[in-house]
Amino acid sequence: MPRYSTRIAKIVNSSLYRHTLGAAVESRWGRLILLAGVPLVWLIALHIGPIYQMLKISLLSHYPVQPGVESHFTLANYRLFFSEALYFSPLIKSFIFATLATASTLIVVYPVAYYVAKVVRPEGRSKALLLLLVPFWAGELIRTFSVIMLLANRGAVNVLLREIGLIDRPIPMLYTSFSLGFGLVYLICLYMLLPLYSAIEKIPTQYLDAAADLGAGPFTRFRKIILPLSKDGIVSGCCLVFLTCIGVFATPMMLGGPNTVLFPETISGFFHGASDKWPVGAAFALIMLVTALIAAGIFMRLVGGRKRSAI
Amino acid sequence: MNKIITSRRTALKLLGGGAAALAMPHIIRPIPAWAQNGVLNITTYDKFLPKEFLDKFQKDTGIEVRIRLTDDQGKQYNLLTAEGANPSTDIVTVAGHRYSQFISAKLLQPLDTGKIANWKNLNTAYQDAPWARVDGNLWGLPILAGYEGLARNVDYVKDAPSWDVMFDPQYKGQTSYIVSDFMTIVMQYLGHDGDFVSYVDKADVAQKATNEARDFLIKQKDMVRKYYEAGSEVQQMFINEDIYLAHSWSGPAAKLIMDGHPIQLSVPKEGTFGFCYTLNIVNNAPNAENAYKLLNAVLETPEVGAAMTRQSGYSSTINGVGDLLNDREKLASTLPQEEIERIIFFSSVNRDMKNEMIDRATAEVKAA
Repeated sequence: MPRYSTRIAKIVNSSLYRHTLGAAVESRWGRLILLAGVPLVWLIALHIGPIYQMLKISLLSHYPVQPGVESHFTLANYRLFFSEALYFSPLIKSFIFATLATASTLIVVYPVAYYVAKVVRPEGRSKALLLLLVPFWAGELIRTFSVIMLLANRGAVNVLLREIGLIDRPIPMLYTSFSLGFGLVYLICLYMLLPLYSAIEKIPTQYLDAAADLGAGPFTRFRKIILPLSKDGIVSGCCLVFLTCIGVFATPMMLGGPNTVLFPETISGFFHGASDKWPVGAAFALIMLVTALIAAGIFMRLVGGRKRSAI
Repeated sequence: MNKIITSRRTALKLLGGGAAALAMPHIIRPIPAWAQNGVLNITTYDKFLPKEFLDKFQKDTGIEVRIRLTDDQGKQYNLLTAEGANPSTDIVTVAGHRYSQFISAKLLQPLDTGKIANWKNLNTAYQDAPWARVDGNLWGLPILAGYEGLARNVDYVKDAPSWDVMFDPQYKGQTSYIVSDFMTIVMQYLGHDGDFVSYVDKADVAQKATNEARDFLIKQKDMVRKYYEAGSEVQQMFINEDIYLAHSWSGPAAKLIMDGHPIQLSVPKEGTFGFCYTLNIVNNAPNAENAYKLLNAVLETPEVGAAMTRQSGYSSTINGVGDLLNDREKLASTLPQEEIERIIFFSSVNRDMKNEMIDRATAEVKAA
């Protein structure tokens, strides 16, 4: 300790510190800039900047601008979305799909989070969590390919079913709503698991013991104590999963079938297509962003409600 | 803490130093990596340029080759357009029928064949092909030729003389295609001009024909297992037996045949379209001279062309490649004469109208 104190004292008393950091810390604005500067630059440069750029492109008549072509500001790209059902229906489909995927993820992951947070002994929880997190060290594409290897006609599931004599012809599971839903739940369950685990782990075990002593059965204990006290985790987990599902692009392309074309694929068509439709793609992307945020906001308002004690 | 008293001079020094530090990146502007001497940036499809060839080229010339992969002509066009007069790539891989789009946007520079000493090694059929010359200039080095074929798993589909088989109810849910590409074939199948050449100044006729193909594909949607985008996807679906039939570029299907899978590729009686991939030097390419050295090296020996064919499945345009392929490789890249005669090379005429109508119809089919 004395050694560190001496070093810190040396730094604090150095002229460099006194004239730069020390001076900054002395003033209120200096402290504010020091604390908020890096996060603000990060937020503006990496998040708001690209969105601003997309907003700008979405208001242009042509982009990328080619030689001999004049580009001007217009709202036509936004009007296009509202003028044709062709573009409206994939967005609705995306919302329905994201809602179903969020609900499925919650149903699948909640018992897992509860098991790790309350049933596993405290000393084993970090190991259990680690085991659950290991698959997520692999990239999204690798995990998507693993789903393909699992569900294909000659994939592991069909081979197993055929080997044990349950089927004689493969069940077409891949490139359907089922494979897309299964893949999505598998790919994004981490976003649900961590908030849920964090919320459930904080619930004092004494509450459950007291309820049991008072005659509450397992379902009543779950309904009256665990569910209300884990509401924060449910709300944040659902919002994270919903917003991820709305914007997910590669997984529906790789696992979805002809009837599961979602809005991100429609948007990508404008960027990859032969004609210069970047402004339309940018406008549609912003429409998706805004509507998804509104939906998440409504959900948080309705389910999250005001902060209050559950008991 | 003691109160720090900063003099005006110290404060000014600090401000000046801070401003200089912040401005430094703008004052010292290093040459971007992609514009340095001894570097060549190539945007191309996966498995087009063989690794052994690139390694040898780098060793012989000292030029570092940096490959950027693409899987779509439209994507490549859009990215190149976005970079404008300062491209970060020297060579792009354009399909011959997309020339007009790239040339009218001033994205390519005319090819000076005088700088390619090995030009004579290119098959004469490609040295000055009708589709290759636009505005009096040649624009690229043809490297691989292909066509849009009907691929089938011969264990399950014995014969397929017509595109009809793609709509045969017994193969319901077992077919696949790239919507935009297959729509041109369907237009041809329905008796229209899938390449739009005859629709110049006849937008209403073209729209009617496109709508008919679109409605047909929507009606047949339950035949489809998946709309794919990249050649690797159709290969994967065939290997996993998720599909038995597909409209496929010849390269990916031929590659499966070379690898011993029970796949056959044919040109049905209604015909199909052919295309040629070329390596093109980008307008304002930062390393154009290095690009010419690579084009010359590609043509140096038929081994390079043979390796390209083995990797991609497409037919090489370089003389002498056929002698280097084994029987299975030859079988994969060879068609009976009557089927060859059914291939029409895509034209670059009226591409804007075609792109506009096909893009929209594709979105409509997918959303239906």
